Amino acid sequence: MGSFTARTHLSTSPPSFFTNPPKINFMDAGPSHIHLNPRTPASKNPPISRFPLNPTSKNPIFPLSCVAIEHYNKVQPSSSVSEKLQRLGFEFRSLPAPIDRVRRLLKYAEILPPFDESWRVQENRVQGCATQVWLEAAMDGNGATRFRIDSDSEITKGFCSCLIWVLDGAAAEEVLSVRADDLVAMNVGLPSKGNSRVNAWNNVLMSMQRRTKVLVEERRTECVPSFICCNQTQVMIHERERELLVRRSF
Amino acid sequence: MMMMISMESAVVKLPPSLRTIKLNPNRKNRILRTAPFASSASAPAPAPLSTDPQLGPGSLGHLTRPDFPILHQEVNGKRLVYLDNAATSQKPAAVVDALRNYYELYNSNVHRGIHYLSAKATDEYELARQKVSNFINASESREIVFTRNATEAINLVAYSWGLSNLKEGDEVILTIAEHHSAIVPWQFVAQKTGAVLKFVNLGEDEVPDVGKLREMISKRAKLVVVHHVSNVLASVLPIDQVVSWAHDVGAKVLVDACQSVPHMVVDVRSLDTDFLVASSHKMCGPTGIGFLYGKSELLSSMPPFLGGGEMIADVYLDHSTYAELPSKFEAGTPAIGEAIGLGTAIDYLSAIGMQKIHEYEVELANYLYDRLSSVPSVRVYGPKPSRSVTRAALCSFNVEDVHPTDIATFLDQQHGVAIRSGHHCAQPLHRYLGVNSSARASLHFYNTKEDVDDFIISLYDTINFFASFK
Repeated sequence: MGSFTARTHLSTSPPSFFTNPPKINFMDAGPSHIHLNPRTPASKNPPISRFPLNPTSKNPIFPLSCVAIEHYNKVQPSSSVSEKLQRLGFEFRSLPAPIDRVRRLLKYAEILPPFDESWRVQENRVQGCATQVWLEAAMDGNGATRFRIDSDSEITKGFCSCLIWVLDGAAAEEVLSVRADDLVAMNVGLPSKGNSRVNAWNNVLMSMQRRTKVLVEERRTECVPSFICCNQTQVMIHERERELLVRRSF
Repeated sequence: MMMMISMESAVVKLPPSLRTIKLNPNRKNRILRTAPFASSASAPAPAPLSTDPQLGPGSLGHLTRPDFPILHQEVNGKRLVYLDNAATSQKPAAVVDALRNYYELYNSNVHRGIHYLSAKATDEYELARQKVSNFINASESREIVFTRNATEAINLVAYSWGLSNLKEGDEVILTIAEHHSAIVPWQFVAQKTGAVLKFVNLGEDEVPDVGKLREMISKRAKLVVVHHVSNVLASVLPIDQVVSWAHDVGAKVLVDACQSVPHMVVDVRSLDTDFLVASSHKMCGPTGIGFLYGKSELLSSMPPFLGGGEMIADVYLDHSTYAELPSKFEAGTPAIGEAIGLGTAIDYLSAIGMQKIHEYEVELANYLYDRLSSVPSVRVYGPKPSRSVTRAALCSFNVEDVHPTDIATFLDQQHGVAIRSGHHCAQPLHRYLGVNSSARASLHFYNTKEDVDDFIISLYDTINFFASFK
């Protein structure tokens, strides 16, 4: 069994949202140990700015096209998110005893990525949970959504750790296409799939999706140059042309 | 107008379990739970056999359990130990049968039908009202208004009495231990009228400071809203004294009796309270029904709360006149079956005797407190029971370094023990105590000493389990 980064004491330096996350593998088919597997290297995830993009940058990082945004609700999850969901479900279904599922969640709670104290604000509180949950969300230059979550409950941390593994770094449309039913296998015995306050993972997932929609909308607003009128068609055409230009330039 | 009550329905039938003293032959009189431990930590020493005969074999809990079908099941492979009664109580078979009988034999709308079924339904519905009235010793049944629950009853008083009688600068006195349902409606009223809400903090022993409460009831106070029994602290307030202080300054009193009516004798005339609310589902009755008690002169002076059918006398296009009490406050078709079910629940409780229920639950409460407060790293909220301090049969608690939701989840998953975790609709109280949430085990007369023992053993196991991950 490999080692993984335990939660470290948070430094006083500005939050490093995109510290290379610990290498973890949830794809172990059996309950006896947890293997390591490399995640997407940090170099493939360009640093995100939480401020509007600089259009004069030498390396423009163009946002998600406005056309793509319109289609995100209809897109099926990519194989990466879908595969992770399937493997997660398989892993938890292979643990028939509730205590084993709780143990597994507590193990995953230990490897939850660090959560900076500056993110622990009321705006980041996930409402509707019996426990306290904080969610920080942002979007990188490629339109991938990035998440960090924390909770005062160890079992909830375990759920959040699984959600992070599945969705951190995924495209917005992938995040938005995940359904609550996809995560039922993680549910530690609770039969309710509805809006119970106890279903923290369900509330966290919905919060992640709401925040993703906001990020997508913010990015869509940023991608409209000031000289463009409110004509939606003209905006879409403009953004499509820019996207094609970017693709040709690489 | 007094209705003729069918006397055949008023005959109180003893619950089957109290007609003999035999125990359920299928029930084991276990002292210790034998569930396997999740970790290798040492087990707690077995609890000494209780010397209190009330808790031993043949206790009220043992005798009444057979009447509650829902308790005889397994959850996650373990015997269900239901300790969430402050959230809702279980229902005896008699109540379930009453509901079935209503819908199978005489379901019909009430009060104006002239056919047999309607007359029968009306008789039973009004009989239920009379039973509630008798149960709390109201002067007359027209002082009982059926509502959906205690929350709706408090809102009725807030919108009807509050909006008509409170003005800017008037004070409403509450404690920080009140249920949200007793706080939020008065916030609405305060916003509309300019009245001021004032809250009494806890004093010694984590009980609302009664001395400070008395000081706060000044001439500016127009209403005092207090719980009888706290659903978190398990403390009991001296309502008769509070009412006396309030009436001395001309203030009214609204008592939230949700946690007292199901567990002890409550006499509204002895207390002399102006308003009192309770919910059926906490007193072995169905959900969807509760009641407001109000002194008839008060209710008569209050404007309607909800408008519609049933609560009117005559309806014109530009105005309407209203029905007499209690119909004035019961708009629309009521929860007829549920009211009848509540009446049956009252029959059941009365057959046992509320004093007997209370005495048993006090012993069980002391046992629960003693055992729980002896568990290392557990902090129980509320007063310590003594000869002068009575606790209700519930304990809200926290375990050091373990979230109460994690505790409750493990207890359920591994041991079949049902407790509650969260703020128990008392966020201001939790904030005052410096915690976000707590776990709560709450008992009723059908719980036994073995239930408490199983809970404690399971809690030890739970604490050891989470400690092994640190």
